[in-house]
Amino acid sequence: MTTYIVRRLLLIIPTLLGITIMVFAVSRVAPGDPVSLAMGPGGQLDAERAADVREARMRLYGLDKPVHVQYWVWLKRITRLDFGDSIKYHRPVIELIKVKLPITLMLNIIAFVIIYAVSLPLGVLTAVKHKQFLDRASSVALFMLWSLPSMWVGQMLIGYLCGPTFFNWFPPAGLSSNYAEQLAFFPWLGDRLWHLVLPVTCLTYAGFAYLTKQVRAGMLDSLRADYVRTARAKGLSNTVVIFRHAFRNSVIPVITIMATLLPAMLAGSVIIERIFSIPGMGLLAFEAVTTRDYNVVMAVATIGGVLNLAGLLLADIAYAIADPRISFESTV
Amino acid sequence: MNGRSGLVTFFLFLFLLVMIVLQFLSMIQSDRLYERLNVILDRLARMRSVNMTTAREQGKSSGPQTDQYPGDEGDWLVWCLSGEPTTLYGILTSSNWSTRWIVSGNIFESLITYELDAFEYKGQLADDFSISENGLEIYFKLKDDIHFSDGTPITTDDVIFTYETITNPGIDAASYANYFRDIDHYEKINDKEIKFHMKRPYFLSLGFLGGMPIHPRHIYEFEDPQDFNKRRTNPMGSGPYAFEKWDVGRQIVLTRNENYWDKKPKTEKIVYKFITNDIAALQALETGDVDYLRPVPDLFTEKSQDEEFRKRFHCLSYWDAGNTGYFWIGWNQARPFFADRTVRLAMTHMVDRKAIRDYILRNPEAKIPTGPFYIHGPQSDPSIEPWPYDPERTRQLLDEAGWVDSDGDGIRDKDGVPFIFRYMIVSGVYLHEQIAKLVKDSAAQVGIEVILEPFEWSVFSERAKNRQFDAVSMAWGGNVESDPYQIWHSSQIEGHGSNMVGFNNAQADALIEEARQTMDKDKRNALYHRFHRIIHQQQPYTFIYTRPEQRFLDKRFANVKIHLLGTDMHEWHVPLEKQKYK
Repeated sequence: MTTYIVRRLLLIIPTLLGITIMVFAVSRVAPGDPVSLAMGPGGQLDAERAADVREARMRLYGLDKPVHVQYWVWLKRITRLDFGDSIKYHRPVIELIKVKLPITLMLNIIAFVIIYAVSLPLGVLTAVKHKQFLDRASSVALFMLWSLPSMWVGQMLIGYLCGPTFFNWFPPAGLSSNYAEQLAFFPWLGDRLWHLVLPVTCLTYAGFAYLTKQVRAGMLDSLRADYVRTARAKGLSNTVVIFRHAFRNSVIPVITIMATLLPAMLAGSVIIERIFSIPGMGLLAFEAVTTRDYNVVMAVATIGGVLNLAGLLLADIAYAIADPRISFESTV
Repeated sequence: MNGRSGLVTFFLFLFLLVMIVLQFLSMIQSDRLYERLNVILDRLARMRSVNMTTAREQGKSSGPQTDQYPGDEGDWLVWCLSGEPTTLYGILTSSNWSTRWIVSGNIFESLITYELDAFEYKGQLADDFSISENGLEIYFKLKDDIHFSDGTPITTDDVIFTYETITNPGIDAASYANYFRDIDHYEKINDKEIKFHMKRPYFLSLGFLGGMPIHPRHIYEFEDPQDFNKRRTNPMGSGPYAFEKWDVGRQIVLTRNENYWDKKPKTEKIVYKFITNDIAALQALETGDVDYLRPVPDLFTEKSQDEEFRKRFHCLSYWDAGNTGYFWIGWNQARPFFADRTVRLAMTHMVDRKAIRDYILRNPEAKIPTGPFYIHGPQSDPSIEPWPYDPERTRQLLDEAGWVDSDGDGIRDKDGVPFIFRYMIVSGVYLHEQIAKLVKDSAAQVGIEVILEPFEWSVFSERAKNRQFDAVSMAWGGNVESDPYQIWHSSQIEGHGSNMVGFNNAQADALIEEARQTMDKDKRNALYHRFHRIIHQQQPYTFIYTRPEQRFLDKRFANVKIHLLGTDMHEWHVPLEKQKYK
């Protein structure tokens, strides 16, 4: 097991290197650069002067060197965990991320917990009531939810639930009210939760369908298995059979899904953050890409890559712990 | 499970329970602390306001202070911005429009500024200012008793510091510094008077110099220019508001500068909230989260016709002289189609600009410009009428120019070249896409094929710079007075200049050059009127629209006036009974 983990950890290094090279290359090959973008196609400057300004700014940001040299410089910095300065904000990228990452993580962790809290029992229930009305109805409902694009749903929720025209139930933007600083802790918490309802809804509803289906399928497999039949034959109660015998065994695939769901949700929150004006990593990444803020793009990609790889590794380890039949020693 | 592990589990749970209870208790405690703190802060605020009123009364008795904004003190103005500024230092190249909205006039002040109701300069920090008749000397004299928000008096050293910072090659302010390259040297007469000597006369120099946001030297003095480049927040100047805080991604808060040297605005705080979604922004306005919003054009048209909405909000539509640009379609004269003036004129007759105004822009107050100057400004010749929409005339002009459908395929051609052109627009901007579709339809009706090429902004600017388009549409920003040199002079065609359509007219060049050096306003504007007429005749662009600013503002604000130059939020106030924040 230990050798496996060490091996996996070592494998992460070339993978990450590959990711960064890809992202670096793609971001530089894409047309446009932060300087010409900021200067636009002209306007105030005359031609000769514009060229000077452009050159001076390229030098200021270190963009005048050849691309491979720029990558090398970046790589050397990254080994000291220095992500460089944001071109747009003129400040260390790490500072930006320190402010924004917690917001996105908060959003996604809440969404994550809700998805699991709803999907696990629902999956078990639909498996137990296989082919009955509840199973079919929930399948249809979940599938419909899954098909709704969150961009559209977000816009609709804001349009119908956040204004005096229809239902004035929720705030349309941001994470807290104007007067939030003046609030005591509990009212503040209430205010924050009130702001989180809609974005979290948008982040979760699609996950329900996916995870419920997985749990249901796993449960159905287990329920048909010999050991469940044996357990029933022993005369164990239905609850014990379902939870102790069937559920435990069907939980394994759900763990792996956890590793793939997290990156998908981080990507999804780019859209949600933009719709609900939430200043998280998603919005930062979106802006960085559109303004060609290379250092921020690289930092977001690297951090995202590390999170993903770590998630996959953790899933594999959790796999082995949850299911004693899986042993890495033989495969490695 | 044996007995021992049961015991361990029990203690573990007990421990957890205790932790939860403790956490809960500490939360209640901090809750109580907060409330106590609020009570104390409230009391302090009340004490301060009492002090202020007594101070005001004293002020009244000691001398006449007639120069006051009307109305009650207090309340906040919450602006909704669709984007967050990158820096609060407007001289840095990384600043943008939201930077200027937030800081200029609020935190930083300049030597001179435009009058609200005339196209004339008035002193802000300067008491006296002048430009010599030959345009080579510019003189400023500072007012007495002016000081920054920390109480330090403003002297010519601060003016010099600001000027030298902007022109310092190490400072990331190259676009701004460009305005000052006609300056030869400055001459400090004393602490209050300064004179700038110019290399050559240029009519905008007074405005550029006078418009510098004066930065306090004792705060911003630097050794390494990079230290200034990295500045982003905590601006301090002499204006009526002082910076309070910037919650990244959420809001920027300015508080009234109680130490202000001039008459203080009544509103206590200005909050700039960032809402990236248009629909959400309108909802935030309607629920009272924000007070001031610049809506997308469609929403303005729809909402300003709604009686209920009008009862709650001012629907302001006004010409913001300092910021009104225009939208245009440019015809690349390096292409066989558009080198001919007749064809460009045909293009203008082909586009139904009234329909664009009424059905796409949906703004009946928008105007069809005839040239590049601010439509109500002194440089624009008001006697020039826009070319009408007349597809029949388009057909005639195209026939005249030799573009006829000789092979019967429905598309006009000349010398074997079919009239098919690529029209480049910025992708994702609904308005531009709609206009482009209308152009494509209109062209098809007269036998021209248009291939639409939408590009993301970064690609778009790259291609525009390299002239990789046949036709292009974009908007230029504007000012009360502008210099057409960068966009229209033939020297700006080469080397990625802004004359991207390749407009080359010797007469226009001569007029541009002469006008720049003419200090007499009337003579200069006469030259610009002539230049305006050449542009109108030559039609290097088809000018599509120029439009007034549109804003929604909560009705609790009173004394909201529209001036020749736009609005001035410093004169607004909220009557005491309607105040919302304290």
